[in-house]
Amino acid sequence: MTILLFLALLLAYACGMVLPLCFPGRPHIQNVIAHGSAAVAGGLGIVLGLVGLFASEPLVWFLPSSIPLLTFSLRLDSLSAFFVLTISLVGLAVSVFASGYVREFYGRIPVSLLGFLYNGFILSMLLVVTADNAFFFLIVWELMSLLSYFLVVSEHEKPDVRFAGLFYLIMTHVGTAFILMTFLMFYQETGSFAFESFRNADQSLPEGLRTLVFWTALIGFGTKAGIVPLHVWLPYAHPAAPSHVSALMSGVMIKTAIYGLLRMYFDFLGGPFPWWWGFVVLLVGTVSAVLGVMYALMEHDLKSLLAFHSVENIGIILMGIGTGMVFYAYDLPHLAALGIIAGLYHTLNHAVFKALLFMGAGSLLYATHTRNMEEYGGLLRRMPWTGLFFLIGAISISALPPTNGFVSEWLVFQGLFLSLELPSLFLKLMLPIAGALLALTGALALACFVKAFGISFLALPRSSHARKALEVPVPMRVGMGFLAGLCLVLGLGPAVVVPLLDRVSEPFVGISIAGRVFEMGGWTLAPVSGEFSSLSTPVLAIVLAGLTGLGWGLAYVLGGKGKTRFYKTWGCGLNVTARMEYTATGFVQPIKRVFSTIYQPTVKLETEFLEESHYFAKRRHFEFSIEPIFLKYLYHPILEFFSTLADRSRVIQGGNLSLYLAYIFGTLVFLLMVMG
Amino acid sequence: MSAIDFLLIILQMLLVVGLSPLIVGVIRRVKAHQQCRYGASVFQPYSDLAKLFRKEPVISTTASWIFPATPYILFSSTLAASLLVPTIIAPMPLNFAGNIIALVYLLALGTFFLMLAGLDAGSAFGGMGSSREAIVASLTEPALILSLFALALTAGSANISAIVYKTAILQGIVLDPPPHLMALVALFIISLAETGRVPVDNPATHLELTMIHEAMILEYSGRYLALVEWAAGMKLMIFLTLLANIFAPWGIATTLSPSALGLGLVVFVGKVVGLAVVVGVFECMFAKLRLFRVTELLGAAFILSLLALVFFYILRV
Amino acid sequence: MPNLPINIGSYLVNLCSALLLLTCFAIVAQRRLMACVDLFALQSVFLAVTATLVAYLTGIHHIYLAAVLTIAIKAMILPRILKKIVRQLNVQREVSMYVNIPTGLLICGALVILAFFITEPIVHLGFLLTQDSLAIALAIVLIGFFIMVSRLKAVTQVIGFLVIENGLFLAATAAAYGMPLIVELGIFFDVLVAGLIVGIYTHQIQEAFGSVDTSRMKALKE
Repeated sequence: MTILLFLALLLAYACGMVLPLCFPGRPHIQNVIAHGSAAVAGGLGIVLGLVGLFASEPLVWFLPSSIPLLTFSLRLDSLSAFFVLTISLVGLAVSVFASGYVREFYGRIPVSLLGFLYNGFILSMLLVVTADNAFFFLIVWELMSLLSYFLVVSEHEKPDVRFAGLFYLIMTHVGTAFILMTFLMFYQETGSFAFESFRNADQSLPEGLRTLVFWTALIGFGTKAGIVPLHVWLPYAHPAAPSHVSALMSGVMIKTAIYGLLRMYFDFLGGPFPWWWGFVVLLVGTVSAVLGVMYALMEHDLKSLLAFHSVENIGIILMGIGTGMVFYAYDLPHLAALGIIAGLYHTLNHAVFKALLFMGAGSLLYATHTRNMEEYGGLLRRMPWTGLFFLIGAISISALPPTNGFVSEWLVFQGLFLSLELPSLFLKLMLPIAGALLALTGALALACFVKAFGISFLALPRSSHARKALEVPVPMRVGMGFLAGLCLVLGLGPAVVVPLLDRVSEPFVGISIAGRVFEMGGWTLAPVSGEFSSLSTPVLAIVLAGLTGLGWGLAYVLGGKGKTRFYKTWGCGLNVTARMEYTATGFVQPIKRVFSTIYQPTVKLETEFLEESHYFAKRRHFEFSIEPIFLKYLYHPILEFFSTLADRSRVIQGGNLSLYLAYIFGTLVFLLMVMG
Repeated sequence: MSAIDFLLIILQMLLVVGLSPLIVGVIRRVKAHQQCRYGASVFQPYSDLAKLFRKEPVISTTASWIFPATPYILFSSTLAASLLVPTIIAPMPLNFAGNIIALVYLLALGTFFLMLAGLDAGSAFGGMGSSREAIVASLTEPALILSLFALALTAGSANISAIVYKTAILQGIVLDPPPHLMALVALFIISLAETGRVPVDNPATHLELTMIHEAMILEYSGRYLALVEWAAGMKLMIFLTLLANIFAPWGIATTLSPSALGLGLVVFVGKVVGLAVVVGVFECMFAKLRLFRVTELLGAAFILSLLALVFFYILRV
Repeated sequence: MPNLPINIGSYLVNLCSALLLLTCFAIVAQRRLMACVDLFALQSVFLAVTATLVAYLTGIHHIYLAAVLTIAIKAMILPRILKKIVRQLNVQREVSMYVNIPTGLLICGALVILAFFITEPIVHLGFLLTQDSLAIALAIVLIGFFIMVSRLKAVTQVIGFLVIENGLFLAATAAAYGMPLIVELGIFFDVLVAGLIVGIYTHQIQEAFGSVDTSRMKALKE
């Protein structure tokens, strides 16, 4: 039964890839077929994910191949099923959105090709999270990277897009190299590339090798996830891609790395590991979260801003998982499950709201043809639906109740607070400090989204682009509306979501906590016990709604119906124009100044004065930039080292054919001698 | 949930909604007294609110629906947050709905919309207020979470009602002075910052160089302004209640008996009014800090919370 | 043993030591020199109270004398001398520092944690009465050092030195229930003399460089 479902899924994506190619020169039909099949496949994927989550045994499909060590084996256990579900949920919404968004590209980019890559990209992500053979995994992982690279460079006529693509390609291959190293270490020990044998090998791996595997996996998958300091490609590549692809890349592609880390640490290396593994993951997560949001604040390109927020949210996910690992190392399985569930919940939530926000940014791009926030303004009146959905996404990512972001961040907080159960004094102090930094992250994210929403959607239009903007087509609104609704549903329904996630964490930590974390018939989420702490978002939502009504009633009773007068904003005697409004740069100026140690800002102000007087300026030019610390102090030295190395080794290039033949001959002789 | 629980929730709502203007009035009266002025009656804020509700509101033609919606959201989120804080009885019936994190983030929900509303009218004042509020809020929140967590540790629970309930029975601050004392000072500084009092913000000014909260709400008038002012009063009351009931929980009812509730009510009003007097005196003793010096004050609050945490653990090892 | 219950006494000692530590942080966060001096005086008062408490709880009488001397010298005489210097030099504020105040506070927070970790293994060997005080004393010494390192003005550096001295005195009272009387008297005399010498020394710097900014003394290198 499930195999049929899976085949139908494959077929749907295959249709989406191939059929549009059969209608050359008819972009609209290509668009409808490509994204229609992707949407259908997304729906099938949701069903498959749910089936996989509820299956009592992992579902396995197997197809041998003639290449040694490679088998096309797929395995759908609860972890894979959760990621299939996440990818498919987002895939469905984004496909609907894309069918509207891609109209923008008619005549500029071949839609059939875009559709081919798009469907192939989603399919490769699904195969990554279900592959059960290291060789096969690497093939689909590489496929995913390449297809996303091609999608990033869709608009390859722009030089900055080509640069972003190249940067992404290089970084992702560095990551792949580390993952390959990880798998080769396993192969050396087990003599097989099947994940099944890795799983059984966990205890036989020598301690040193296990530590090495921990680091290579962290670097390899961390590059894809975008942890600091390996995040540098993200803010280039994600904005360069077409918006629906950015939504997928930021929403779900970087999550495949979270899948890889969980698979690696809990499934393959399961069993007791030292506490500092968890602490390292927690530390990396905390640093990524804080720095991600800080750099996001300084961005005025809406899509770059969202890309930096992905770094932040990956950090929060890793904080949850890191806490879980710490508890696991100290043999506190129910708290470990709590940490993992918090991380997974945030994974799902981030996929939903980040895809939503990227689609919102795409809608703004569609309507105004610019990504610069300083040219938006007043769009809530012109694009009410997009504005509403973006606002819901902004509230969710700022972790405000009663949306989904709040619930998962709340769970991460609980994990950090439960550090009082740990025996180590060091961790007892460090975890609450991480909690304070998470609070800082949350507050800065809130400031950042006040900026993103307030500058883009409120007040007066700041440019003619914004003045002429129109609401986007219906399919785009439907795609965003679906995810906006999901933000609220996931926020109100931890009682449904947490038991599902518990099925994922149960095989890893060995116990199920679903029965223990709820009180009052599922209305209240209470990790450990209601005595310690509890949360009920449905009740909070009801209270909030009721009290809003109360406030309205109070105003009515005390003030009567009353008329409201509409009048222009007071501007000290002048008519308020868009030039008087606070800009995005101005909005974050205090933050830039307070955290100047991190930003290292350089400000340039050139003033050209009138000849008559030095008190009146003719024109002023203001420019500010922040120091890209990681590029400057980490990447440039490495690049310089390699280019010097390359320069030095150029001497062996003689340009003479016989010389090159001599090299080959020499190598052959050398190898024969070594082998013999 | 039983009928008594409902009654308690209604009572709590009435108490917070009804008493918060009085607190504002007391602070103003104390300040007036300190500055050798006669000052208005402590009940003046009630008359102000009543007048504002009857006035015709003016809304900017530039503003979107966010602007008129914000006062209602702010009012409801602040009131919802206040329902999580025990006033005259612990534990509160709505205790299960959220812990300290929920309290902080419910208040943040109101701040989020208020910051948006500041940007909505398009005037530079509102934007300036929002921008300043953003940095003050970003710096207070870590300190607030850390100090509340240090308190949660001493009680072994992250639910506010449970913290108050346990400290009420275990005699709280007397039992464990250093961490409590440091958390108290930290929370006091944070309360001043969060509720926009001197030395972080000046609620009595409309000078653009100094204002934060007043700049954000500059465009509000009529019933919208009334709701915003009322919500600000309730937020002040929440923080004073936290200070009073976490550090001096004596007298709070722990059972449902009428005499205990009556005593709780009297003691609560006394404590909160007393704290309001302290805040009023404090405001007269200090000048408002420059915006970028606020960092130092809030940095000190963060360090104090951290020390509270350290002391707690060291005492217990 | 006196009639005060031992655990309440212990709490009070802990409380006083905590207040000592808090005044250290206040000094780090304070820009005005006069206020720094006042805070130092306040710290000395807390120190004297701690010493009195220890004396009362343990019944060792010569600690009373040390407390009285602390009040007299550190809370009254030295602050007067320092204030006189500040007035004469006419430097009211420390405008520039090597480390800005929030960062300074964070560093001091880290120093406290460090002090607690260092003393953790030996805390159990000490007396029950003053469990925390040793860690706090070490923290105060470290913060005193930090003040000396991070500030530019000679007066604040003197205050840093005196804070270190307070930390050491707390350590002596806390860990060893005071030193022999003669040693204590000697130390107090030393501190007093140090205060006087530093007063003269500051004057010399002022006259030679026209400022008490010690960073100007780099010029002596040439």
